[in-house]
Amino acid sequence: MKLKSGFVLRDVCGEQVIMGEGIGALDFGRLLCLNETAVFLWKKAESAGDFSVDMLAEALCEEYDVSAEQAKTDVAAIVDEWKKVGVVE
Amino acid sequence: MNNGKKTEYAYKVAEHVFTLGFAPELELDSGAMLDNYAPFAYAGEYPALFTVSVVKSPAPAFEEETRQDEEGQQILCGHTQGNDAVFEFRLQNRTCGTLVCNGDYTRGTIHLTEFAPKFTINNSMMVLYALATSRYRTALFHSAVVRHEGYGYMFLGKSGTGKSTHARLWLKHIGNTELLNDDNPVVRVFDNEIRVFGSPWSGKTPCYRNEDCPLGAIVLLSQAPYNKITRLRGIEAYAALVPSISGKRWDRKIADGLHETENALAMKVPTWYLECLPDEDAARTCHSAIRVCKG
Repeated sequence: MKLKSGFVLRDVCGEQVIMGEGIGALDFGRLLCLNETAVFLWKKAESAGDFSVDMLAEALCEEYDVSAEQAKTDVAAIVDEWKKVGVVE
Repeated sequence: MNNGKKTEYAYKVAEHVFTLGFAPELELDSGAMLDNYAPFAYAGEYPALFTVSVVKSPAPAFEEETRQDEEGQQILCGHTQGNDAVFEFRLQNRTCGTLVCNGDYTRGTIHLTEFAPKFTINNSMMVLYALATSRYRTALFHSAVVRHEGYGYMFLGKSGTGKSTHARLWLKHIGNTELLNDDNPVVRVFDNEIRVFGSPWSGKTPCYRNEDCPLGAIVLLSQAPYNKITRLRGIEAYAALVPSISGKRWDRKIADGLHETENALAMKVPTWYLECLPDEDAARTCHSAIRVCKG
């Protein structure tokens, strides 16, 4: 899967927020706040283009002191949230 | 100018200079067409931030990217093959005219039709003004703004929420209050202060005041069967502002500029959410919460 085009990560008053700015994302109509882990994953997914839960979980393990199992659970939860609000395809 | 017959005017709005020129073949009474701009006439030094020519020739073909539809007015946005930006304005689905501008929004051409030329000129000027100034910490708002004891107070809300109505309640019930602009004020973020300016655009109310003052507060309005005011902070304040600011956010340079302005406003200007009735108590509730106390 990949991040839909038109979504941008910005710093809003010190918080990290995804907003819909591109053509096709203009009707998003909300701000999606990301925690530190989600920001890390978003940036990884953005640079990877095509990504999978396994790929992001592996990257998470390299960056943070977390078990492979825990990483996969965390990544799956965040990616599910992204699917639910419609920022991945 | 290589044509002696072309008529060109210069204006300064919120300290940004622009020019507006009319092709001789138009045979328009440009004085009557531009009465709302008269208070903003500028005779000082150029260069202008952007220049606009008004012509009668047909608009070029373009590919549509997206469209906006609000209260019977449509704006079709797109680009030509040569990558000029295009905005076609329609009233009740009838084309009034088209603005074509270069990629950095410093030059625009307005192609008029016989239908609603003044509407086309004003909407084109607002679009180009919003885009050309976006990188200068400037935002064109959809808002009614009053001035009270030296400070500007802006009322935001979706169309039909009662921005103008609430402004009128202040004029009637809160002393020392006057209307600065009823629909499209300009806000600028300077290093040491944030100011709100009147503009040549004011919706249905002819209130074209070339005046400005420090911005005291921003209030997002929502209709309710009671009056209640709540402070918004940080990301909530940001989310309240963004829908009231004109822009073309799918152009990354424009979005970056607007975001910088919006972030500064959300952090520095007290922002409130007013659920209200259209009555005197709404104005008093709002006034007593948001007024700037000079210390």
